[in-house]
Parts: sequence; structure tokens; C-alpha cells
Amino acid sequence: MYAPLALSKRAEIDAALQRVEQRLRPDVVRIRYEIGEYWTGEPAIFIRVLLTDDAAKHRLREVANRAVWDLARELDFDALGVFPYHEFRSESEQATLQEPAWV
Amino acid sequence: MGLADELLDDAEPLAQKGISEKRPSCMRRAVSTAYYSIFHLLVEDFVSNWPFLDQRARLARMFDHSKMRNAAFTPVDKNNLTPTEKALDGVRRAFGELQKDRHKADYEVSWIIVETDVKRAVTLARDTFVQWRSIRTEDVARNYLLSMFGANR
Repeated sequence: MYAPLALSKRAEIDAALQRVEQRLRPDVVRIRYEIGEYWTGEPAIFIRVLLTDDAAKHRLREVANRAVWDLARELDFDALGVFPYHEFRSESEQATLQEPAWV
Repeated sequence: MGLADELLDDAEPLAQKGISEKRPSCMRRAVSTAYYSIFHLLVEDFVSNWPFLDQRARLARMFDHSKMRNAAFTPVDKNNLTPTEKALDGVRRAFGELQKDRHKADYEVSWIIVETDVKRAVTLARDTFVQWRSIRTEDVARNYLLSMFGANR
């Protein structure tokens, strides 16, 4: 895999995700990400959006779509050399799974 | 009703059964089916314009999942997308996301799938049907479909 530009732009990515996180509160609890590879070896950014239980249960479509579009507005993923993959999970689901990548 | 619509309709009850019975196999099938509904939506659209009926099935089999995911999309002004380009970008991203989810659902046995994963995949597929059908006759969408088939720009 070639090194995508995103690897050297972590500060900008962090700041952008924080802005989106703040805009989407209280539905969005936090956003985490990881730069890695798709199973084919292509560079990717895996964005994990933790939602309140209420948002996940009653407004998933709206909140998820807004998060995806806001993130795309904040970050030029093509220029960063990564394809974005978004994952959503509720607080209670994370409480059960306890996955460190979502903390 | 075509195969794509049937698959989308099938994804809903699979999701409901998986969630209500806490049955990961059904949840995984729902995610996989949601992806294939979009895959066939696009493939059906392409081959339906091929004039030779007896060749359409062969043409459909030539579609490659990776090429489809990496199809070129070059908006006129990436900082100011037209409504059509915005919808197409949504289709492009949704296709990539659902393909990734489908791969996890079908192959990653360690993946602990949750209700939100399933609901997201099915609603994303349903929204993508609407988006695609609103732009499918536009030049930019037809060119994108040609890129998905493998044509260089």
C-alpha cells in the first residue's frame, strides 16, 4: 500500500471530526477513526460514529446521513487518498461490546 | 419487479427477523442482500440498454465489484457539486460502504454485528435506490455507470 496523504494530515482530520462531532451533538456522542486498508489493500479511513440510544433508535437515517455529508464537506477524502467507510453504533451496543476502537 | 427491487424487499424482513430474534445469520444476510440489491440495480440499468436480449445475462456477468467501487467520478467543480453530482456522489459512497459491509457480513466471522449495523445498511440501500432513480438518465450518471463497467474516461 502506498502511504496516503491522510497519514500526514491527522491534525486536520482530528479538528474536522471534532467540528462535526460538536455540530451533531447531542445525537452524536463521539467520532473516532482509523487509517488503514480495505481488504483489497486500498487505503481507507474507517470512521466510527457513536450515537445516543435515542438517535440510533429513532433518527438513524437522518443523523447518519447528516454525519456522512458533514464529514465529506469538512474533509476531501479523495485528496487525502482514502475512501471513507462510516460505521454507526449506539451507546448501549458499545457498552455491551466494549470495543477499544470506539472509546 | 426486477431482481434488484426483490432483493431490497427481502433485506427488510431478514433485518427484522435478525434483530427481533437476535440471530446474527439473518442480520448478516440482510446486510449482504442490501448490497446486492444496489449491485443489481446498477447492473440491470446498464444491461437494460443493451439491445440484444440474449446477451444481457452475459453482459451482466462482466461487471466486477472492485471496478465498480473504483469507478471514476469527476465533478465539474468538486467544491460546488450540482444536485445531480451530489446525488451521484451519494450513490458512489453508498456503493462502497455497502460493499465493505457485505464483505464483513459474508467473510468476517469475528464481526459482532449489531442492530444499528443492519438498520443502517438497509436504509442506506433504500435511500440509494431513490437517489439513483432520480438521476439515472442524466449524462453524468450514465457516464459513471459506464466507468463502473470498466470504461476509462
